[in-house]
Amino acid sequence: MKALEIHDLKFYYMGREEPAINIEHLSIEDGETVLITGRSGGGKSTLVNCITGIIPHVIHGEFEGQVEVYGHDTMKTQLSKLSTEVGIVLQNPENQVLNYTVEEEVAFGPENLCLEQDDIFSRVKESIETTGTSQLVDRETYTLSGGELQRVAIAAVLSMRPKLLILDEPTSNIDPEGTARVFDIIKRLKEEKTLIVVEHKVERVLPFVDRIIVIDQGKILLDIKSSQLPHYVEKMVEMGIEVPIHYIYAKKNGIDSEDMDTIREKLREKNMIPEPPRRAGDSRSIMHASVKVSTSEGKELVKGEIDLEEKHILAIMGRNGAGKSTFLKGVMGFLDMDLRCEMEIELEGRDISREHMIKRGKEIAFVPQNFDLTLISKTVEREVEYSLKKRKIREHGERVEKLLDMFTLSDLRYRDPLSLSLGQRRRVSMASAMASGVKIIMLDEPTSGQDYYHKQILGKELTRIKEAGYSIIIVTHDSRFVYRFADRVVVFNNGRKVLDGTPESVFRESRKYSIIPPSDFVLRNDEHELVNS
Amino acid sequence: MNWLTVNIISWLLFFFGAAFPVLILLKAIGLTGLMKVTRYESYHSFYYKMNPAVKIMLGIIVMVVASVTIWWIGAIMTAIILASYLTLKDGKRKFITGLFLTMMTIIGTTWAFAPYTPYVILEEAFHTGSLTTLWTWPSYFTVMGYQPALTSQGIVYGFQISMRFAAVSLMSLVLVMTSTPSQVLRSLNKVGIPTSLTFSLVVAMRTIPRIFEYIDTSVKIQFMKGLGSNSPAFLRPFYMLSGAFSGIVPVIVFLVRGAKDTAISADTRAFRAYSKRTYMYPMAIGKIDKMAVSFMVLMILLTGIVVMLGFGRGIAYNG
Repeated sequence: MKALEIHDLKFYYMGREEPAINIEHLSIEDGETVLITGRSGGGKSTLVNCITGIIPHVIHGEFEGQVEVYGHDTMKTQLSKLSTEVGIVLQNPENQVLNYTVEEEVAFGPENLCLEQDDIFSRVKESIETTGTSQLVDRETYTLSGGELQRVAIAAVLSMRPKLLILDEPTSNIDPEGTARVFDIIKRLKEEKTLIVVEHKVERVLPFVDRIIVIDQGKILLDIKSSQLPHYVEKMVEMGIEVPIHYIYAKKNGIDSEDMDTIREKLREKNMIPEPPRRAGDSRSIMHASVKVSTSEGKELVKGEIDLEEKHILAIMGRNGAGKSTFLKGVMGFLDMDLRCEMEIELEGRDISREHMIKRGKEIAFVPQNFDLTLISKTVEREVEYSLKKRKIREHGERVEKLLDMFTLSDLRYRDPLSLSLGQRRRVSMASAMASGVKIIMLDEPTSGQDYYHKQILGKELTRIKEAGYSIIIVTHDSRFVYRFADRVVVFNNGRKVLDGTPESVFRESRKYSIIPPSDFVLRNDEHELVNS
Repeated sequence: MNWLTVNIISWLLFFFGAAFPVLILLKAIGLTGLMKVTRYESYHSFYYKMNPAVKIMLGIIVMVVASVTIWWIGAIMTAIILASYLTLKDGKRKFITGLFLTMMTIIGTTWAFAPYTPYVILEEAFHTGSLTTLWTWPSYFTVMGYQPALTSQGIVYGFQISMRFAAVSLMSLVLVMTSTPSQVLRSLNKVGIPTSLTFSLVVAMRTIPRIFEYIDTSVKIQFMKGLGSNSPAFLRPFYMLSGAFSGIVPVIVFLVRGAKDTAISADTRAFRAYSKRTYMYPMAIGKIDKMAVSFMVLMILLTGIVVMLGFGRGIAYNG
């Protein structure tokens, strides 16, 4: 039986002349697991919304063609009826989860279906067991980590017992441990349901998908069996999609294998093992920060220290709740009033521990994960000048021009920052944060929710900023990004710093702390040489 | 007293009413403090076991009693409700926050009435023909609606009026802190309020603490970018307020972007599939609710007696 059948689908958002999605034919068999990938803005979410019936029932526009889910025409079937055939788990669980307790969240769907109390109980129990969230049942949803929250979101959708489950970038906002657990659930569900996984992390989902579909500019550019991937590596890379690095090298060097160890061995024989990325050499320390944070009851949350060198990119990694963000907040003086903080922060030999965040902001810039919250001015230009004006720095025109130029924002100077694309908004936020002449830039989860293409652009931007004389700290879960662009890595675990060194040295031991080394690193190093937990 | 001193003191007094509550809000409570008193946390004391519908009824009764009786009954209710904050989870902290909120209400309301209330009303309220002048404003203050002088009766009158608001605002926070939106939804649906309406309330209850959290982030980033950098430290709370206003637009845009996902999440889980919903835990009326209802009946009876004894609303407030 067909799980999904699409014919001549076109959808135009209001006021748009070009269709956001344009698919002649697509069908997915019952029980298949399909990966849909492609650049951000390519039409993946529009397609998914057409399959769930969100388009045309909730999002309106010009809809042409036919979408059938298990024989139900999405145009003619009520959304509530469709919701028992197809379920969707969204990228950001914070927006998806509506209720305060886990149990209430999972019961929300069955309650809407007006099921009997016993039936609701059994569905909640079943979904909680499948997702391994039984220990979270009595917790408030806002106290959960990103990974836990995403598993709850999956449980909440599973309680509708959909035959087709769509997971729209389910791991883009969560740590490696949470990601692994979500993938475990997907592996388990593969036996029971038809799955569509929308994901940038091709490398991680590849072991359990049957088929790969690439979408760009609203069209299907590639529709292959997952076993055929090695033959399409170059095309995928051209399309801006992240593929396992060993596939690329195998293809380049004519090695007919998908196995990492075999490829590495052959590359060694040919003396073609690639050089590791170039790291900045030792330079003078620009900042030493030692932070201890505890609750008012005396429970220690974080105790760690970092050294940041000039013109370096330092990555801070670790599980959700490991203390990375609390550490950064301590450095900036952002902590909640009810937390106790002892710190020693030395910036170029000067103790700034007692300085208010207004003064620290002169030296340190911070770009939060939700950088949209920082964009308060009406135009890009005003946003960049903001701190210069507030700090009464005269003749700032030249500096503003330099920053606009550095972040390729000159052409957008009169635009409202909030109306720009995601990448542009992040660049405005960074330019504005750096304007008053800071030396250090801290970015919290800048790679979160970004596709491969945008991550590459971000990495290059950071490298350019570093080379211009700035020192950078990034908090991220993306080990591949760290391997390619960071000069040093610090790993936090249970509030303590546990590893500190170059990416090469840290990834040798990082599995102990649920940080999976990227394929770029593994290709250059035998897996058995690494220290496993 | 010379002209300049009178003007300086008058303007300081003028700003006191507006600035001091803001100072309490931002310095003593903070945006994160507000987040904590607008967010549900599970616990086991009596408020948490009470049916939300009963809590809403209790709030309405408190409002009615405070508005139809003499001020000190409102003051007693304020004290009792505030003391009951100690039974909440993290009660001591919530009690202190509640205390600051009450101070804010009292100062803000008193200052909103004391300088403006016409003498004729004060004379009638206090059964007196001579008011006690505490401070004489410069003559041009009358342009702002001020009476020529600030009187002790004006301050007492403003304080008494604040007692009409304090108890109600504390009681409404009890509902938010001790009921999940889903419980409120169940209770309100049971009394026939349509799901789509109650759902808006649910989303609002979940969103309010996040608004405080995001505004807090926005303000901190503005400080880092130099907001208030050339001004003395004592003015920071006011810069914080200005930063909070500047942060409203990006926070709303950010929330609206997420709201699309919230709508998709609800609609793809059969929300509004039927006019009613069933519940995993239907809201029942328990022993505590019955006791609360009995207490409310007693409150209404006592209010009736109190009003009949001449301690009802209206002039004169001080009996």
